[in-house]
Amino acid sequence: MVALMRWVGGAAVLCVIPFLLQPYELDLYRKLLFWVALAISYNFLFGISGQMALSHFAFAGIGAYAVVILMTQAGLPLGLAVVVALALAAALALIVALAATRLEGFYLALATLAFAQLLIVVLNEGGSLTGATGGLTNYRLPPIFGFVIGGPGTAIIMIAVLLATLAILLRIDRSWFGRACRAIRDNSEAAAAMGIDVARTKTIAFTTTSVMAAAAGMVYAFFDNTVNPPVFGIDNAIMLLFMVIVGGSGSHLGAIIGAVLLKLSQDFLEPIVGHYHALGFGVIVVVAILIQPKGLIGMWDQIRARRVAARKRAAS
Amino acid sequence: MTGEQPLIEVRGLTKRFGGLTAVDGLDFEIRPGEVLGLIGPNGAGKSTTFNVISGTYQASAGSMRLDGEEILGLPPHRIAARGIMRTFQHNMPFEGMSVAENVMVGAQTTVRSTLGRILLGTAAARAEEQAIRARADELIDFVGLSEERDAEVTSLSFGQGRLLETARALAGEPRIILFDEPAAGLTPSECDRLGVIIRGIAERGIAVLLIEHDMRFLLPLADRVIVLNFGQKIADGTPDTIRTDPAVVDAYLGEAGGVGADA
Amino acid sequence: MSDLLELLVSATASGCVYGLVALAYLLVLRPTGVVNFASGEWAMMGAFAAYVLAGMLEVPTVVAIPGAVLVLAVIGWATEWFTVRPLVERGAGHLAPILALLGMLVIYHQATLLVFGGENYPLDGPFGFNRVELGPFAGTSQSFFIIVMTAVIFVAVWLFFERTVWGKSFEAVAINRRAAALMGINLRLVTALSFAGGAAVAAMAGLLDGPRGSVEVNAALPFAVQGFSALIIGGINRVEGAILGGIILAFAEDLTRRYVPIPSGLALGVTPVLLIAFLLVRPTGLLRAKEAG
Repeated sequence: MVALMRWVGGAAVLCVIPFLLQPYELDLYRKLLFWVALAISYNFLFGISGQMALSHFAFAGIGAYAVVILMTQAGLPLGLAVVVALALAAALALIVALAATRLEGFYLALATLAFAQLLIVVLNEGGSLTGATGGLTNYRLPPIFGFVIGGPGTAIIMIAVLLATLAILLRIDRSWFGRACRAIRDNSEAAAAMGIDVARTKTIAFTTTSVMAAAAGMVYAFFDNTVNPPVFGIDNAIMLLFMVIVGGSGSHLGAIIGAVLLKLSQDFLEPIVGHYHALGFGVIVVVAILIQPKGLIGMWDQIRARRVAARKRAAS
Repeated sequence: MTGEQPLIEVRGLTKRFGGLTAVDGLDFEIRPGEVLGLIGPNGAGKSTTFNVISGTYQASAGSMRLDGEEILGLPPHRIAARGIMRTFQHNMPFEGMSVAENVMVGAQTTVRSTLGRILLGTAAARAEEQAIRARADELIDFVGLSEERDAEVTSLSFGQGRLLETARALAGEPRIILFDEPAAGLTPSECDRLGVIIRGIAERGIAVLLIEHDMRFLLPLADRVIVLNFGQKIADGTPDTIRTDPAVVDAYLGEAGGVGADA
Repeated sequence: MSDLLELLVSATASGCVYGLVALAYLLVLRPTGVVNFASGEWAMMGAFAAYVLAGMLEVPTVVAIPGAVLVLAVIGWATEWFTVRPLVERGAGHLAPILALLGMLVIYHQATLLVFGGENYPLDGPFGFNRVELGPFAGTSQSFFIIVMTAVIFVAVWLFFERTVWGKSFEAVAINRRAAALMGINLRLVTALSFAGGAAVAAMAGLLDGPRGSVEVNAALPFAVQGFSALIIGGINRVEGAILGGIILAFAEDLTRRYVPIPSGLALGVTPVLLIAFLLVRPTGLLRAKEAG
């Protein structure tokens, strides 16, 4: 009951914020929510399941493009377009997963990178279907149950997707499935000896998180009522990886912190210091890997452990 | 203590690597609650036998029946699902998890809740999770790691790591547990402690297959011993008959110290 | 027909550039098991180093080329010392060095961007751009220069691995690090030299390719992608695999662009499609490892 109250309270705070913001700030806020939602699901894929896939943004792009194309060009109503787009993303994710999860370590990174690249090529060359390099514009979110959804409304939908992603992943992380994923990440041979079907578990983790990315991408498509290829490219996929590493890979809270910090620093520092910001970004990532592989969350745990130890010493 | 019906029946087990026959037509069976030792000098085929049984290697020929059902050639996770759990000679803990979580992973084959039920948070799914946690706690106490329950596994000593391997394998509620040279790398007092735990496991009615190089550890522990040399069984009997078997003494003569020497 | 023959020369030259980047990956990958995505940045930086020496400081080409290669070798050595060695010595997981090098990729990229901006810079080849005819084959002198230099580098690297004691010790490390260390091979030195060598070879790829177009920061990602694609196609275990994969990739691209009636943008899909196909069907690449023995 307390837990439920906490969720409701958190959702309420997140949902009030968009009504207090100026249009420019609202735009930053919505995109921040988008990144956080992706970071949470990517953390489960990379940090918990140990799959270094670079296709997460590609699946966000598949969700975004699919829902818009199904609505505007196939003439489907919004609800049906969302369902079909999610099913399409799930089917594609399953195909990629069945093939890619057989591959270990950097081979998986290469295969998913090639998939992401191929998607960008298809989007760029899709003619009127995908709007080529300019992407798709001139569409809008139809009224939902009679309500016309404005800027703050799309933020609230994104909050719903984000919280649903977090709630689902928290729940399965705290079950035998989460333990199986972590076990495979740490030692796949020992995991198999414990009765874990390694390929099946990896495939489920990859498909689930990729569909979550597609759902976030769908909402993103209605932020500015435009989608274009570069957003879903490899640069952002690597940025997402860095967010999870800096925050603390394997930790849900770490992924959220990493996404918020890096996204905000990009939004606020880039206009002032330009490329020095990105340079600093690379330095932070390298230093994080060298000094604290568990990221900011690991650092916080260390400080807390030291404090507890100091208190114990003081007591005795 | 040993029942009449064999739990596992191995017949004609053979494993060839190219031209080399590492295991050659091995026959044996294990009964519930029995401690069966498999020994032999270095290169006798012990580890290969172990890896074939646990599904890591594919056998070249032979059969392995569990309750009369053929299970040879199944992949490792299916072998585990049949209630055949193992430990690793070089400890293989899940390093990103606590001791308790490691043991809970071992219970993987016992879970019944589907992902859907977990998402819905059904009472049954929650009760099962509670039960797994309780069972892990009980097993941690059984092997004597209570103090380290919430510790990171990287902080364990080698001997404690071996105990963790044991608890993790037991969490799968095995019918048979395979130990791969469990005494290797342990201090004498850790060996004694492990010996007591292995007897305790057998008393629970679980069959134990001990692959071991160190006879001093194995002989007092085993109900029955099989001796391998060059991939073939050269002796099969109680520890007392093995100790004086001329073929065994011959096989071990090349080894420093002969029968009963340390590994 | 002459059209095809001219295409063959330029495609071979492209394949040589890909092959050199693939070799840069391979030199690092074999002894360490680390795939270094920053190899593409090294190639781009090699081209910039050559531009600074030859274009800005007006150093003669015969000095500028080895000079640029040396600069990158030092950068490669420093990268290993700073990012990879501490991780290996700490016993970090196998992904950690890959991620650290991904961070280094960003540092290299942004640092070069800060100094040179996003503009294109011209780089002159040693023999200008006149057309050369060799029997039925025709192409730019730079194409022939690329092919000759690549052949020299590959033969030299091959001889190093096959015929020298030093090369054998690299091979031993590639097969089994622990056993190699027990044999008294200096793991640290081998790893450091692998990175220095990888960066040097990548620099050659960049500075040879530069005169065919221009020197620019954005060339790094294509170098990186084509390089590892060539490596996977050819096989990650053999030096010859790198050049074979490079040539196959370049021919697939150029022949598709020239003879298959699809938009040129779609031809960019050839590389990822080939890469995916090889990863699924034959992840060991065309050339298998030699029997260990």
